[in-house]
Amino acid sequence: MTAATPKSITQLLVAWSEGDRTALDELMPLVHAELRRIARNYMRGERKGHTLQTTALINEAYLRLVDQKQVHWQNRAHFLAIASEMMRRILVDYARRRQSQKRGDGGVQVTLSEAAELVNERGPDLVALDEALLSLAKMDERRSKVVELRFFGGLSIEETAEVLNVSTTTIERDWTIAKAWLHMTLNRE
Amino acid sequence: MTPERWQRVTAIFEAALQHDAHARSAYVIEACGDDRELRGEVEAMLASHYQASRFIEEPAVAVAARLVTNTTSDSLIGQTLAHYKVLSLLGRGGMGEVYLAEDTRLGRKVALKLLPDEFAGDAQRLARFRQEARTASALSHPNIVTIHEIGEADSVHFMTTEFVDGQSLRQYVSKKAIELSTALDVATQVASALAAAHDVGVVHRDIKPDNIMIRRDRLVKVLDFGLAKLAEGSDATGAPTNRLVNTEPGVVMGTANYMSPEQARGAEVDGRTDIWSLGVILYEMLTGRVPFEGDTPAEVFSRILQKEPLPVARYAPDAPEELQRIVTKSLSKDRDGRYQTIKDLLIDLQALRRRLDLKAELARTVQPDDGTIITANQQHTTVAETPQGTATTATHAPSSAEYIVGEVKRHKGAFLISVVAIVLAAAGIYLYSTLGSRQIKSLAVLPVANSTGDPNTDYLSEGLTESLIDNLTQLPDLQVKSLNSVMRYKGRETDAQAVGRELGVDAVVTGRMMQRDDGLVVSVEMVDVRDNSRIWGRRYDRKLSDLLAVQNEISREVLNKLRLRLTGEEEKRATKRYSENTEAYQLYLKGRYHWNRRAIDDLWKGIDNFQRAIQLDPNFALAWSGLADSYVAMVLGGPFAPTNRPPMPIAEVRTKWGAAARRAVDLDPELAEVHTSLGQGLEWLEWDLAGAEREYKRALELNPDYATAHQRYGVFLLTSGRKDEGLRELKRALELDPASLPINADLGSFYCGPLGMPDQGIEQLKKTIELAPDWPRAHFLLSNCYAEKGMWNEAIQEIQQVGVPGYVQRARMYAATGRRDEALKVIAEMKERSKQQYVAPITFAFIYVALDEKDLAFEYLEKGLADRTPLMRNLATAKGWDKLRSDPRFTDLLNRSGLNQK
Repeated sequence: MTAATPKSITQLLVAWSEGDRTALDELMPLVHAELRRIARNYMRGERKGHTLQTTALINEAYLRLVDQKQVHWQNRAHFLAIASEMMRRILVDYARRRQSQKRGDGGVQVTLSEAAELVNERGPDLVALDEALLSLAKMDERRSKVVELRFFGGLSIEETAEVLNVSTTTIERDWTIAKAWLHMTLNRE
Repeated sequence: MTPERWQRVTAIFEAALQHDAHARSAYVIEACGDDRELRGEVEAMLASHYQASRFIEEPAVAVAARLVTNTTSDSLIGQTLAHYKVLSLLGRGGMGEVYLAEDTRLGRKVALKLLPDEFAGDAQRLARFRQEARTASALSHPNIVTIHEIGEADSVHFMTTEFVDGQSLRQYVSKKAIELSTALDVATQVASALAAAHDVGVVHRDIKPDNIMIRRDRLVKVLDFGLAKLAEGSDATGAPTNRLVNTEPGVVMGTANYMSPEQARGAEVDGRTDIWSLGVILYEMLTGRVPFEGDTPAEVFSRILQKEPLPVARYAPDAPEELQRIVTKSLSKDRDGRYQTIKDLLIDLQALRRRLDLKAELARTVQPDDGTIITANQQHTTVAETPQGTATTATHAPSSAEYIVGEVKRHKGAFLISVVAIVLAAAGIYLYSTLGSRQIKSLAVLPVANSTGDPNTDYLSEGLTESLIDNLTQLPDLQVKSLNSVMRYKGRETDAQAVGRELGVDAVVTGRMMQRDDGLVVSVEMVDVRDNSRIWGRRYDRKLSDLLAVQNEISREVLNKLRLRLTGEEEKRATKRYSENTEAYQLYLKGRYHWNRRAIDDLWKGIDNFQRAIQLDPNFALAWSGLADSYVAMVLGGPFAPTNRPPMPIAEVRTKWGAAARRAVDLDPELAEVHTSLGQGLEWLEWDLAGAEREYKRALELNPDYATAHQRYGVFLLTSGRKDEGLRELKRALELDPASLPINADLGSFYCGPLGMPDQGIEQLKKTIELAPDWPRAHFLLSNCYAEKGMWNEAIQEIQQVGVPGYVQRARMYAATGRRDEALKVIAEMKERSKQQYVAPITFAFIYVALDEKDLAFEYLEKGLADRTPLMRNLATAKGWDKLRSDPRFTDLLNRSGLNQK
């Protein structure tokens, strides 16, 4: 596995959080190996109360990747928000690439085993979900953000409430509405 | 949608959710008024809401993790994984990539397959896969690809297999039909591989052209046994697999085409799913197209479930009708309508091939000017016969055909009749030979008929029957009906097949005994119930005094005959299991017989037999296991009967049992027996309860039909206070071996003891005594039961029948009936005796409890703890200690012993 140098990742992260959108493209290959590791750990530890773990894993990833002294997070909420957004970018980008890879590779046959895998992949198509979230944001910024934090960032209801500075009941209601709408939208297409 | 509109939609949506479900739609209609579009939006959202409970609840990283872990890592080429140098990419499948690699240690080429992290990370599933893959591979079947290693390096899980230099059937068929003879040849070889795998309980589940390799020499190799199961049920949410139907768009579908209806529905599958898939492949090979096509997986699935495929003849007009029948039968949507076993399909394929070959042959030979080539196609017909037993008949069949064909040429008039005869003969030989490789898993020995006309010799015929059953029962993997269940056929003229069916066994052994002068004639026959064919038969003409030898000889021959029918792996193991040395094996059987009786003298005889068996074959794992069992049994029973020789001292047992048990495990860790022996020693002599449970479980995993493992584990559970589980195990043991005396007795004894059902216990023990009235242990345990109920007369009577001192029973009776002095006399007697022979300290403790002498009882219990008296293992649950349980000293004792673990 490629060993990423923490410094370059940190610099790119800083650049990205300061608005340099191209930084993400450079960031991706570097983060990939780490993401793979997270994923593997995640899969290993999975099926035993997984929701809590995601944030922990993301935190761990950031701690490993980011030189804390060079990044000045305003506070924990800010960190979680950035982390979630970044997670969304990375994961969606990742899924998009994989899709194009699959389409470009027309000869690949799906096997029974892979069909079984598709069962797992079911649930959300990350790319489509990302697009739907963009439309949702146009009508309803906050609820779109709730999904980003909960789903991409893996935050709990309480953490989401903390980041957005609203009550947990509000987040719960937002979550219900956003889920229903996204589900409907994704299935309509 | 404008933000304002969105606000209205969400407001009504939320308010609707506040209403009860039944009032919801009325509310929505009212709230939306005339705005039908608004109402549509809200209703659609509500509908989604009902379905969305799990939607995006799983965090995105989990979704992505699955994407990530299944991504190609083409960077692997040129790298070294463990001792494999990766050379090139061979292919890419759903389960990961396959590379050509070089084994740098052995310098050979191998195929290296990466296992997805997702699956490999699940230790349990990986273990199951490992076991299945290994089981199939270990068959060493020519049509099953050999697995070299399943390993892990740099946190990557991989599997290496033999590298098959050739083409996949996928490449072979690519969109065109292949020759009939080739198609049949491939199908036969695949069926043969599957037959061997099914025999050992491995279903492939993913038979498709990509998993079938054809070598340059046309040898077919089936890949990836067990792999499909690794993928199965991997849905993290636990959703049923019928979600397969809803695969995402944009994905090229390949092998949905080969799935069976039950797979398409996401139902449980068995061997018949492979039959279906092979049917699809056969169809494809013949016609160049798959029977169920569609643009999307969903379409394919709906056709699989609902549509009948077009007849083969539509695309392949020359295909014989029989082939259409075979395909139709394989593709029955209801699996009960399909071939029920792959072997039946194999038989039909072989018979058809044979017939076609013969036809071709005859077509050539009857031409007047071309009469010389008779056996031209013999070579390719013998490529893929079934693994066992077929080889000889396969070569024999053409030569008899050859002979007959030669005759035909001389008498051309009789040609037609001869053709029919040849076909029948060939089919018959094939049918017989393939059946010949069927495994016998269960057997009944019918009472040997006594045709001497002298009822006084009944004991001879009965003894013969009993000893045959006894001997055969010792054979692992063979279920033998108990004497009880066959006794009702005694003296009845019976049809072996009918009786066999009634008893639900694969084979029946029948025998007849006649007297002649001073000699005895015994004829024995074994019949395969499934086709009424005679597997074996022999007549023994011996002197009366040789009867015992005859019994043993018959048992051995039946065993040998059965052994020939064990397939692949089993046969390989059999040589180790049963020992190639017949005498050693016989000694082993005798040893087990004695061990089964558990009396001290018997155990000594058992030890002697096992030791002699080991002398003849030092690597005979089962004999080591029997030896260990006998040592352990020495300290478990106590003197149930008067003995000629005192039991082996505990100290000696301690030094010997472990060496024997561990030796057995080292020799053959795949045997259920060896783990059971180890478990029992760990439990009773070391009080290592966790270790014992581990071993019992391992044993049951290896052979779920091993009665003794169920028995020992049942005893373990009951003694640990896990009553329900324990009772279940004991009952299972009895089901598997209804004639076993120890199992029957243990069940009775536990009913009286920890289960608190003395009446059932008494009944069960009486039943045991009926099985073998002179077996002392049952009487001894029955005596305990009576004592439990305070039925002292009966208790003492049982003890007297056995002829042992019965100290505890007597003392308990005196204590219970207020004759304290008498009880103390018994104790004095015991003390006297203990000068010559070991008397377990807890025996004293038992009596002191009965006498309410708690201090003395504790004193002896402490002694017992100090020497870890094996029988104290039941401290936590035995009824004898109930009076002490409330005493804090008892709790303390129990804690120190470590015997309080459940």
